[in-house]
Amino acid sequence: MNQRDLELLSSYLDGQLSPSDSARLENRLKTDVQLASVLNDLRATRILLRKLPARRAPRNFTLTRKMVGQNPPLPRAYPFFRLASALATLLFVFSFGLNSVSRLTAPVFGMGGGGGDASQQSTELFAAEEAPAATEAPATEAPAEPPAAMAPAPTMTASVEDALRAAETPTLKAADVGNAAGQSELQKQTPAQLVPFTWQVVLGVVAVLSALLMLLMRGIAISRWR
Amino acid sequence: MNEQALITDAQNGSLDAFNTLVLHYQDSVFNTALRILGDDDLAADATQDAFISAFKSITTFRGGSFKAWLMRTVTNACYDELRRQKRRPTTPLEPDTDDGEEMDSPRWLADPNMTPDQKAEADEVEHAIQHCLDNLPLEFKTVVVMADIQGMDYIEVATSIRVPLGTIKSRLARARLRLRECLQSFEELLPASYRLEEGMNVS
Repeated sequence: MNQRDLELLSSYLDGQLSPSDSARLENRLKTDVQLASVLNDLRATRILLRKLPARRAPRNFTLTRKMVGQNPPLPRAYPFFRLASALATLLFVFSFGLNSVSRLTAPVFGMGGGGGDASQQSTELFAAEEAPAATEAPATEAPAEPPAAMAPAPTMTASVEDALRAAETPTLKAADVGNAAGQSELQKQTPAQLVPFTWQVVLGVVAVLSALLMLLMRGIAISRWR
Repeated sequence: MNEQALITDAQNGSLDAFNTLVLHYQDSVFNTALRILGDDDLAADATQDAFISAFKSITTFRGGSFKAWLMRTVTNACYDELRRQKRRPTTPLEPDTDDGEEMDSPRWLADPNMTPDQKAEADEVEHAIQHCLDNLPLEFKTVVVMADIQGMDYIEVATSIRVPLGTIKSRLARARLRLRECLQSFEELLPASYRLEEGMNVS
């Protein structure tokens, strides 16, 4: 049995041969016993396969929206509130960061300016190292200060530094007061919050309200979708 | 069921329309997967994957036989499953007999409405055929399952697995011959009503 005859027999069983090919094959089958035997085998196999009982599906295979990753249709305003919430949150956090940085820099002013405080005279070495840096910033503000007739503050560091400071910023000496009045003046000069508290509250409220509105919109959309 | 309307709705995103199609075709799809994979659980997984994949790509359906298109999806899911099985071979969990040995045939899954004799008969036939199908090369098995078990015509089968019509004819003929040779070894086990008949006259 060659492959060509096998295909002819199989196609004949399925009624896939042309009438002329079928007639030719039927003529051969009358005389060729082996061909007829193979045809019978193929036919029996085909019948057996078609008798195979079809199983019912063990469960329903219907899909859920989650399975196919479908999302509910959200209102057009949803992206606006999402953006507003994200921006407000970002600015809110940024404002805190900015204010924290400004607060961190404030003690440096105090140390530099309050160098004459007796209690700080015995401070650690790092205070002495920071002092030159502090001399510059208050120096810009110093002209606005009333030139108080105060004694030059006794410095807490080496005399070389004192000399340098005196050379660089003569007006600083006016600011580097050792008495309480001078110190309170300097404390008033510490930079205020860069972002006002009111703005922070507004940003916080906008962020929370936008987020709540987003949740509400989403909830309504999902309940309608179902 | 207006199949074309449901397909159009599903293409427009209607999951309800698609689920109506799922309910209509799920038995055919599951049976195809079952005969290709030879395991109920794997077949169920492949069927679910096939329907998910079909929904996601239903916009690519351009007409013709929807059943053939679905069959292509399920055969792809079966091939994926077989590839996964090759990478991670597992031991099937089958119930034990009273003697503590694993059951050879899935008698425990049979239809409870059948009489014990019918059940035994059906089990033997199903087991024998599935065994022979499992021994066929995958490309032969796919063709014979679609043509002889699902009753699809040659063109539908060719569309489903995207091979020329001549290849379908060749694979089907060779698959039938191999199955015949395999089933002959089960002849004595098969009940009389299922025995392969010999010496039938050519019509």
